[in-house]
Amino acid sequence: MSTARADRIGLLVLPGLAYLGLIYALPLFLLLLKSFRDATGALSVAEFVQIFGDPLQRSIIARTLRVAFLVTLLALVIAWPTAIVMRSARGGWLSLFLVAIILPMSLGVVVKAFAWSILFRSNGFINQSLMTMNLIDAPIRLLFTETALVIGAANVFLPFMVLPIYAVLQQQDPNLPDAAATLGAGPYQRFFKVIVPLAMPGVVAGCAFVFSMAVSMYVIPSLIIGERQQTVAMQIARSFLFLRNEQLGSSLSTILLLIAVSVVLGSSWLAARLGARQ
Amino acid sequence: MLDRHAPDPGAAPMAAPDAQYLDVVAIRKAFKGVTVMDGLDFRMARGELVSLLGPSGCGKTTLLRIIAGLMQADDGSVILAGRNIASLPPHKRNISVVFQNYALFPHLSVAENVAFGLRARGMSKADAVKPVREALALVRMQDFAERSITALSGGQQQRIAVARALVVRPHLLLLDEPFSALDRKLRETMQVELKSLLRDRGITGIFVTHDQDEAMGVSDRIAVMNAGRIEQFADPSTLYATPATPFVMDFVGLSTRLSGRVAAQEGALVAVDTDLGRLRAPGTLAPGTPVLIGVRPELIRLDGGADMNRVDLVLEDVAILGSKTMLQGRPGAEDRLLCELAGIRNCKARGDAVSFHWAVEDTLLYDLSAGATP
Ligand SMILES: Nc1ncnc2c1ncn2[C@@H]1O[C@H](COP(=O)(O)OP(=O)(O)O)[C@@H](O)[C@H]1O
Ligand SMILES: [Mg+2]
Repeated sequence: MSTARADRIGLLVLPGLAYLGLIYALPLFLLLLKSFRDATGALSVAEFVQIFGDPLQRSIIARTLRVAFLVTLLALVIAWPTAIVMRSARGGWLSLFLVAIILPMSLGVVVKAFAWSILFRSNGFINQSLMTMNLIDAPIRLLFTETALVIGAANVFLPFMVLPIYAVLQQQDPNLPDAAATLGAGPYQRFFKVIVPLAMPGVVAGCAFVFSMAVSMYVIPSLIIGERQQTVAMQIARSFLFLRNEQLGSSLSTILLLIAVSVVLGSSWLAARLGARQ
Repeated sequence: MLDRHAPDPGAAPMAAPDAQYLDVVAIRKAFKGVTVMDGLDFRMARGELVSLLGPSGCGKTTLLRIIAGLMQADDGSVILAGRNIASLPPHKRNISVVFQNYALFPHLSVAENVAFGLRARGMSKADAVKPVREALALVRMQDFAERSITALSGGQQQRIAVARALVVRPHLLLLDEPFSALDRKLRETMQVELKSLLRDRGITGIFVTHDQDEAMGVSDRIAVMNAGRIEQFADPSTLYATPATPFVMDFVGLSTRLSGRVAAQEGALVAVDTDLGRLRAPGTLAPGTPVLIGVRPELIRLDGGADMNRVDLVLEDVAILGSKTMLQGRPGAEDRLLCELAGIRNCKARGDAVSFHWAVEDTLLYDLSAGATP
């Protein structure tokens, strides 16, 4: 009887499943199907062969992966100390940190990207400051560079790195570093043998979030770097909207999807492995 | 004022006069302006097992953390084996701690947890295998070496915490309420086990506890703490027989309490007037002094000679406690009379009028006047 009841409760997921199936899975499936067909509609992988044979497409994929990797790395480097400080913050300071990190998320990504492009302009704040400090003679080119893209994107995605790391650090038993200290571990050993390994599930989750968002970002590169150096997401939009090349667009989408899926699967495998020991 | 001379880390302690292997001097500590410790002194010998006994919040953990170096005292010194270690960081003190929640590393296996201290001291993985195996055997956990910490019961986790603390051969072992998370049966077994383990290996150790039976059971001497001060530091029987303050009398064991006022000095005895009549106790106090009289319950009988103290009362409660019976009277709001009788067939009941008798020399007397040493 109780299993029958559980079964009936299980029916509650149906609306959700239907929604996801209709809005998410079906179009994605059609897209996938399209990418494996040629112009005549026959099954083929010709489009993929062509993409990987094309130096331009290859360089776009490589740039996308490189940028996503660097964005993730930069976000991680900034997020670590932030999360560490937040863990020891109390009361008002903690609220301040959380607001400072969460509030910008409510600001549209377009607004933020524009704000960054103002900073990066040749007569923008960064160049002016560097020139005032006599570090450079002439404005250096920042806008439309990969560096600007990495810095800007890392800033936008930072909350998704800080919050999971803060969450695991905050759950750590504060006695653990103390126990390590009384056992003879100095500050470095405490950090690398206790605090970091215990924070790894949060680090993995944060990296997975940021990488999958960075690898598929469209608005930020469009605004900071423009059409000149494209990313896969921009190329997809271009193929559908301007080139009217649905074949190319759907195949690139499939590639992006495969990257995202492997990141998610890889990170959940890693998280499970790390979690199993705890 | 503080001797900031730092000894070389890891060196064996120099020979020190046994009576002051650990010498904690004039410790002061405040949290955000609230003083929790004001000039605490604490001294123990090498190889001694000492309990810090006191109610929750009296500063036991704080004192332990100051000794271990996990917290800085505002003033005072901690001298271990003849050197002031007050300015040494915890990882250079070689003082092991068994934490109240054990604080085992969840990302490491049982064996890796035990090996942690050895590895932190630079021992290779291969060299650590043997001492780790020995330490696990010591706590009878050798079959669990490769287990995950989370797969262990509370008692097993505690054993691992002890093995991890002992494997580094600490100069001093501190245990913060190590049994509080265990159920009663297991707690008693672990107390006996741990005591003989530490005794056999000559470990100098401090047990923190708020449980008087535990303190009595595991330690050579007990320091009774109250509000950041040590009220009395003595062996269990001295503590029980001659508590130095009313607080110690109440915290360690049960006791009759009667308040009164000194009526006269009669040679080596003081005559005290209470609501229940005149009582006598050994001591010297000026007439008029407010005092508290105490008697341990097993020293009270229902009959006795004319030279004994005697009070007449109506029993408020008769409680059968396994092998003994506790008779209780409550003549006043603060006053309480307790008589413990062996056996449970005493034929006394609530409402019976009885007389309590006890020897004058068994009477405890405390000066309650302001300014008296507590
Ligand atoms: N980190 C801290 N910050 C503020 N107050 C503290 C801190 N640690 C302890 N205290 C206070 O110091 C007193 C003693 O605490 P503690 O040593 O933990 O007591 P015990 O271990 O005997 O229960 C308590 O009043 C407690 O509130
Ligand atoms: Mg405590």
